[in-house]
Amino acid sequence: MMQPLVLARRALLAAGFMAAMLAPALAADPAETFVAQNIQRGLGILDNKGLSKQQREDQFEQFLLGLTDMKRIADFTLGQYRRTASPADVAAFEAAFQNYAAAVYRSYFSKYAGQTLKVTNSTLRAPTDYIVATQLVDPTDRSSQQPLEVDFRVRTDGPRPVVVDVSVAGVWISLEQRDQFVGFLGQNNGNVKLLITHLSDLAKQFKS
Amino acid sequence: MRKTLQSGWIWRLLGTAPFALLAGCTAASPEMLAANDPYEPTNRQIFALNQQLDAIFFKPTVQRYLSLPEAIRTGLHNVLRNLAGPTIFVNEVLQAEPGRAGRTAARFMINSSVGLGGIFDPASRAGFAYHGEDFGQTLAIWGAGEGPYLMLPLLGPSNPRDTAGLAVDTFILDPTNYLRLKGHFWWDAGRQYLNYLDLRSQTFETLQGIERSSVDYYAALRSLYRQSRDAEIRNGAPARTQDLPDF
Repeated sequence: MMQPLVLARRALLAAGFMAAMLAPALAADPAETFVAQNIQRGLGILDNKGLSKQQREDQFEQFLLGLTDMKRIADFTLGQYRRTASPADVAAFEAAFQNYAAAVYRSYFSKYAGQTLKVTNSTLRAPTDYIVATQLVDPTDRSSQQPLEVDFRVRTDGPRPVVVDVSVAGVWISLEQRDQFVGFLGQNNGNVKLLITHLSDLAKQFKS
Repeated sequence: MRKTLQSGWIWRLLGTAPFALLAGCTAASPEMLAANDPYEPTNRQIFALNQQLDAIFFKPTVQRYLSLPEAIRTGLHNVLRNLAGPTIFVNEVLQAEPGRAGRTAARFMINSSVGLGGIFDPASRAGFAYHGEDFGQTLAIWGAGEGPYLMLPLLGPSNPRDTAGLAVDTFILDPTNYLRLKGHFWWDAGRQYLNYLDLRSQTFETLQGIERSSVDYYAALRSLYRQSRDAEIRNGAPARTQDLPDF
């Protein structure tokens, strides 16, 4: 009479053991979960035909600011000039960069509106510094081309995860912006005010 | 996993010797050296010339080309890619990538026959998607460093390694060099022109967007060129995360 109970207990133990073994493999890290839950939402805003152009732009900007650490990205893109610029110039640059980045990122990502994002894996670069690899799949594409590889660099050292860089087909955007801004400042005697003026003009052009 | 040979002194010598003359023209600033662009003033002048030529000649031509039906442009794009197949194959063999070389060979045979000389691309639907390869990448796999950044007249962003690679691909590895054709020069010139037209039309909107959003288009292209070349050399494999800068 004891045999069925013993079998049932063994089965339960085995099931528990299997669940414990599988749990770490199935559980995504916080950066993966963060990207999977949020980026598709951003693409959804850009594809929402029910919103006016202005509403779409405003919602995407809010979404972007909630997702990224713009101050950290801005400071990174100043390169070595971050150390020599005055605190007032740095603060003005951070504000100008935020406007510029919101306009430019919206323009970059509007091309991918309507596509589906699939998280493929993630790598821990350093504690709290993740690279989350994704693929953008265009459901209407019949060309048999490889899906576009988009990687997100996510930091988890703050109260919430934040994106600090995005790589499209191997090109990191913040890295490219840093190279560009440092190149510009090198050509203009490190004049951060001039860079701020240029960024503000570009943001206006993109928004108009 | 791909293995690269050790960088040798000969590569560094080959890479830098032709440009020693340029170095004598200008004193490189710490910023130029940090950007691995010691000839930046000369490069920027060549870039300005390229931009003028692009605005006067190439942009209007590309705009007219873009007004052709998409089917014609796709057909031409496919034919040009198919013609590059043998060069890609040789480079994959030289890189000791038999799997990729086999897929390139299969792709070339399918598209040259079923695809009517490469106009159509049935190989992609059969699972043999296009991937590029060139001798600049082969040199990188063999351990050659990129050398300083160069802006070539008409050809755009490059470096000594990729310039040498382009010359080898064009004049040595391309099997059409060994065909006895009447007016071979015009065949080569026409094909290079169509290659340029095709590439420029494929990147037209993207480059326009980058130029529009750049505070320094020259520096933006320099960064994009380097990053995308690195990605091509890795064949899509993830970059070494330790090489990324700290935030």
